[in-house]
Amino acid sequence: MIGPALALARVKLVLELRRREVVFAMLLFVAATIVIVHFALRADAGAGERAAAGMLWAAIVFTAVLGLLRSFAAEAEAGALDALLLAPVDRASIWLGTALAQFGFLVAVEVVAVPVWWLLFFQEGGPDPVPLIAALVLADVGIALVGTLAAALALGARTRDVLLPVLVLPLVIPIVLAGVTATYAAFGEEGGGFGPIGPLGFLALYDLVFLALAWGTSEHLLGD
Amino acid sequence: MQAPAVTLEECSKRFGERLALRKATLAVEPGETVVLLGPNGAGKSTLLRLAAGLLRPTAGRALIDGTPAVDAPRALRARMAYAGHASQLYRGLTARENLALHARLHGRDLELDRLLADVGLADRADERIDGFSRGMLQRLALARATGHDPALLLLDEPASGLDADGRALLDRALLDGRDRRTQLVASHDADLPQRLGARAIRLDAGRLA
Amino acid sequence: MRALGRPSTTVPLILSLILVPLTVVLAFWWTGDDVDQGFSQKIFYLHVPVALASYAAFGYGAVCAALYLWRRDPEWDLRSYVGVHSGTIFGTLVLLTGPIWAKASWGVWWNWGDRQINVFLILFLYYCAYFMLRFSLDEGERRRSASAVYALLGVGLIPLSFLAVRIAETLIHPTVFTSSGAAMPDSFLVTFLVGLAGMLSLMALLMSVELRGKRAAARLVEYQRAARGEDA
Repeated sequence: MIGPALALARVKLVLELRRREVVFAMLLFVAATIVIVHFALRADAGAGERAAAGMLWAAIVFTAVLGLLRSFAAEAEAGALDALLLAPVDRASIWLGTALAQFGFLVAVEVVAVPVWWLLFFQEGGPDPVPLIAALVLADVGIALVGTLAAALALGARTRDVLLPVLVLPLVIPIVLAGVTATYAAFGEEGGGFGPIGPLGFLALYDLVFLALAWGTSEHLLGD
Repeated sequence: MQAPAVTLEECSKRFGERLALRKATLAVEPGETVVLLGPNGAGKSTLLRLAAGLLRPTAGRALIDGTPAVDAPRALRARMAYAGHASQLYRGLTARENLALHARLHGRDLELDRLLADVGLADRADERIDGFSRGMLQRLALARATGHDPALLLLDEPASGLDADGRALLDRALLDGRDRRTQLVASHDADLPQRLGARAIRLDAGRLA
Repeated sequence: MRALGRPSTTVPLILSLILVPLTVVLAFWWTGDDVDQGFSQKIFYLHVPVALASYAAFGYGAVCAALYLWRRDPEWDLRSYVGVHSGTIFGTLVLLTGPIWAKASWGVWWNWGDRQINVFLILFLYYCAYFMLRFSLDEGERRRSASAVYALLGVGLIPLSFLAVRIAETLIHPTVFTSSGAAMPDSFLVTFLVGLAGMLSLMALLMSVELRGKRAAARLVEYQRAARGEDA
């Protein structure tokens, strides 16, 4: 189950290293989104931490959708999905392998984008990096899991490219909410909430719930 | 282990308003080789995809050894292969990497060099296949489909794009598999049944003749 | 497929005809005005039961989706679709009555601090996307299973959205119930329960009428196909 998923994820990362089709576009997109949201909010360096946090999370979610649009592109190119479906592996491993690759892309984008965001908005000070990084990683897991699920559902749909964002965005609203709250907390702001489990606990819970749901439905996710 | 049987019982498949296959009934005995003939759009590909379990019948049943093909357990999928119109390969990987992935997914240790040599691709093994011609892709697809020596082989027009050498290679592979596996091959080549000494079945406008 | 029987329209019709007018009568002539909100609180007897009926329909849609994936009977797919569809229709009503109440209570049409309506908005967006998914796939097995999986994911999203919005909230919804029970006079509670029963009956009526229509349409397509000589 894990073995085939890793093999598939590796293939997708190798393809990305060779063709550079996804991550580079995501980087340009995340930069453009941050700039646009910045101007839309007139969020100058003095505009406050909340604006900066919101900008980061909005940019991450939209950028993730861009990557997800390509999540099964390599399989669609020459019908490789058929070979995967007929291979003696669980369908869950196809979905998991794809989600792992998407997670990798998101992390790669954030490794560049988050430090840049930091430099743009916090010449001095800034949030505590540890909880921020934890929130980003947990959120990336959730976005990759849920996004790959939606991408699998949208496979074969006539309007796949417009459909996918519409499917993914409502599903990730709780992630944005928790991510932003975690970022506030990283600024040392009190009263962000999320009660006893905290925003990080919530993100972990989100990941687990959708992992379980995807697991349970994985046999019906791909194929006819 | 015996080669599996493929059975279609009044099997129909509809795509939206289009009825691609109408109440097809077909029995391929274990170890038998059957050639499916018919014009373009007759429903050959749909029939093969139903037999492979890639499609779920709209009505009727498609069975492999008595189990619905769509629910074929992993042990059965490990012993079958299907090659369709598309090469089912990753265009950005080399020929060898494609076969290595196949071996990995099947949990098998395959002799990749020998497989590549068998289909005449030994000297192009480490090239990315996005530069390959249609015929070369078809050869590699054949290597992928037969590499793990499946007990059930489903091929959809495997000769398209192949040169004379390639077609000879394909015939050899099918003749070689004749007494070892169940084979169902869709083809435009009316002479193929005779060359293989196989039963021919004709499909026209979604109906088996 | 037919083994599931015909959903009754008579029973929910009679119940709706009794309970919905009764709710109006009780709300306006029996219950007193709310101490805090006064007369505007009357919309509570419409808004909240409609929202709860909507959640019930989404839940029904998810249960039928699971049954479809298990049994592969197209009837369950139809029922799941009808559940999500009716839930969305009622959801539209929730999003219309919510702002009216908000305007009366808080003086604004939309209160971003009100957690219930914001969760509802997330779910409404989510279930609207269901129709886009469903109708951009060709009718057939793939459409049915993709719709079913999507309807099932809502089971995860509903509680997670509630949790997320609840614990991140800043303002508080006008709470009529608390964890220790209903914080309202008996007359309010009775009227609310009658209203809820009325809305659930109306929902059941809507679903059974729509299901009948969908079945008739499916049968018509079957006859048309048979007339063309396509018997599958």
